[in-house]
Amino acid sequence: MASPACWKCLSRPSPLQMTSQIQLRSATAAFSTTTPVFNVVKKKTAAGKLIQSKAGQAKTLRLKKKAPVKMGKPPAPGERKAMRKRVVLSNTNALAVPGMQDLKKDIVGNLGKEFVGRVLGIEGKTVDALRAAEAFKPHQSWCFFRRPGILIREETIVLGEKIIDAEKEGGLKLVLDGDRVTGKSLMLVSALAMAHVRGWIVLNVPEAQELTNAVTDYAAIEGSKLYSQNTYTASWLTAIAKTNAAILDKLKLTQEHPEVPIPLPADITLTRLCELGARDPEISWPILQALWKEMTANGRPPIIMALDGLQYISQDSLYRTPDFKPIHSHDLAIVDHFLAYLSGEKTFPNGGAAIAATSRSHAPTSKSMELAIRKSQERQFGGRVIERDTWGRERYDDIRAIEAFRNDENLRSIEVFAERDPWEKNYDARSDRALAKIETMKLAGLSRIEARGLMEYWAQSGLLRKQVDEKIVTEKWTLAGNGVVGEIERGALHMRI
Amino acid sequence: KSLETFYGIGHQHSSRILAKFHIFPGARLGALPTKTVTAITAELSTMTIETDLRQSVQGNIIRLRDMGSYRGRRHAMGLPVRGQRTRSQITTARKLNKVAKQN
Repeated sequence: MASPACWKCLSRPSPLQMTSQIQLRSATAAFSTTTPVFNVVKKKTAAGKLIQSKAGQAKTLRLKKKAPVKMGKPPAPGERKAMRKRVVLSNTNALAVPGMQDLKKDIVGNLGKEFVGRVLGIEGKTVDALRAAEAFKPHQSWCFFRRPGILIREETIVLGEKIIDAEKEGGLKLVLDGDRVTGKSLMLVSALAMAHVRGWIVLNVPEAQELTNAVTDYAAIEGSKLYSQNTYTASWLTAIAKTNAAILDKLKLTQEHPEVPIPLPADITLTRLCELGARDPEISWPILQALWKEMTANGRPPIIMALDGLQYISQDSLYRTPDFKPIHSHDLAIVDHFLAYLSGEKTFPNGGAAIAATSRSHAPTSKSMELAIRKSQERQFGGRVIERDTWGRERYDDIRAIEAFRNDENLRSIEVFAERDPWEKNYDARSDRALAKIETMKLAGLSRIEARGLMEYWAQSGLLRKQVDEKIVTEKWTLAGNGVVGEIERGALHMRI
Repeated sequence: KSLETFYGIGHQHSSRILAKFHIFPGARLGALPTKTVTAITAELSTMTIETDLRQSVQGNIIRLRDMGSYRGRRHAMGLPVRGQRTRSQITTARKLNKVAKQN
């Protein structure tokens, strides 16, 4: 709506006149160009009725609401959902960054210090595979750039080394933790991209809450306490087939699979096996088990399994048993399968990795998971060192530390190991057992070199239209809470003031 | 879910029936196998719902009135039964506390 003092429109009234007319106006915008003196909109008293209620009660004004006029064609079923969930990975308006290397097999093996702060592109085949695996999320900012690229942080280099090590037998059991928007899901994308580029089989559960939220159907598996989720498994098999088409097309069935109810032709490819399971949800779980046995047979490539949202599977799910007791997430077959590898109960015979990321934006709190992560960090880096800060106040978050400090004034620093709080009721025993031996990687803010590299990439893509020098890098880095990636992105990319 | 459209079944009972047959809360009726639907119908027929429930509620109220109890008289007069104030705020009682058919 143009301002009343717009100099271009001589027919607009002066501001003085406007203020006196405001009370007479209705709340709708003025589409008419006649001056407001002649354009007073009457109140809707004509349409309303004064209804005399029962004796002794006040009169009420009942205004009849007009039904909204439906215009245009309503969207087809599923269209709104598709629009919500679409992932745009390329933007031709962005510039192509000159000299951008791609993530390749030998690069993953040789990621050194010189790569820190660089953004490596992801090749077309890997992009297609990860798109099929739903590794890219709609709320991430892939749509701004010409091609998807991942920032190489120091943690990415460490992750790359771990993936190379995991190609031998045993496998990697990693949990990615960190504050909100520190790049955990993107680190998962990096891991999946690196694994795919090295020829691994990629399995991804993009949102663990879809498994535990009671939004897909479930059925009890006879003979065990587990529950299978048939439609989810069927769609997962489609995703697996599409992601790993290049590898699975070349592999054939080598074993007998008695647990599959239908007769399997002896010489089908694993892609065909996935299709059979995807077509019929009733047999999707046995087919997934058969597929797994085939994929872990001798001489097959390593497998990476990624899951986003570890807290959701560290507590009861929203499903119920027939006795109306809650079903624990670990009793869901897919979750049980993933956790068997994350907990170390089973190992990948041909090498592989089970990586889980936590979600810190609105996930439920899982005390067992928090404790497990703390303990894991302490196993990796030694006990927590408590120090006094410059004002002599102790920094602690453990009950024993408080007591120790109270007892000994001369203590400068002690090592405290995280223990179970004896008064806490909300620990989950099964999660405690499952997460006892995990390795964790805690993500924090970017270093300034990494932040600079990222911002230079944005500038080269034409999104950040400022000179990238120390001043602006420091400014954005500081405003982002010492380099939290999501906040740098919000400050520099999304807020285009 | 559509189970709750039955008179006498609310959130509690519908959740329990769904859990009994391994149906997740967002399931569509058309997607259920026929034998599950039959099983649910059988289950519902064992419960007092709809007309049976309405008749029993009505019968209770008529019983109260016929034996001359305080509660029966309040129902007959259309006044609050549960000891509320009558100086004001009795529109709901006037509307709902009837001896005749409950809607």
